[in-house]
Amino acid sequence: METKKTSELRRGVLVFLALAVLTAVEYIIGTNEAPTIFLWVIAILKGALVLVYFMHITRLSGSEGGHE
Amino acid sequence: MTTPTSTLEKQAYKIGTARMGLWLFILSDSFVFAALLVSRFYLLGDKRPHLEQGLGLIVTSVLLISSFFMNRAEVQISQGNRKGFITSTLVTMLLGIGFLVGVVGFEWALAPFGPADGVEGAIFYMMTGMHAFHVFTGVVFLFIILRNGIKGRYSPQKHWAVEAAANYWHFVDLVWILFYPALYLIGTV
Repeated sequence: METKKTSELRRGVLVFLALAVLTAVEYIIGTNEAPTIFLWVIAILKGALVLVYFMHITRLSGSEGGHE
Repeated sequence: MTTPTSTLEKQAYKIGTARMGLWLFILSDSFVFAALLVSRFYLLGDKRPHLEQGLGLIVTSVLLISSFFMNRAEVQISQGNRKGFITSTLVTMLLGIGFLVGVVGFEWALAPFGPADGVEGAIFYMMTGMHAFHVFTGVVFLFIILRNGIKGRYSPQKHWAVEAAANYWHFVDLVWILFYPALYLIGTV
């Protein structure tokens, strides 16, 4: 139980760190007029991280996180 | 007689339909933002509004950090940590208000154009205004779950409203993840 608690909190930290790094890279690319495709790829990656790990889209198809 | 199994099945069904309803709402809401995003590229093309880059990065970071705390609040209530839930929700709320102040209070004041100054102004104020409205409603939603949390109405077994508020908040963050490069980074001034 304690391990599960720690792993969920740690996962949140890791996802946040990934989002922060991607945002920094995005800013550098955007302010240096690099090809737009990179900005789209980063935005989609960030969006996917939020959808899967923060919004738990997978809960829609399963019984994960069952509560009232 | 109601057996424990049928109660559990009912509970699973109830949460399943509630989730489906929330996601359908999010899907329908996302069409509004998708239309705004398409309008931005259709009307402005490879040109972007002249905006404060530093401020854009700051408000984006603030919203990102708020999403982290929102996730933390949801995890904490699901683990029975009420105090942690209250603190994380309060921090999320304050960061949301900070984002609103940054965009509506500063970016709108610093922008060298008004809402009626052509396509650029119309797109910029409509995109940020619609998004800010959603952040505002998210803050109201957070205030409601915070108040209920203080009253002890949530438990690890019963916190659907927290999950719904968290999903809505992350959706608002997701929209900004797409709006930020579209407004601040893609194209030339």
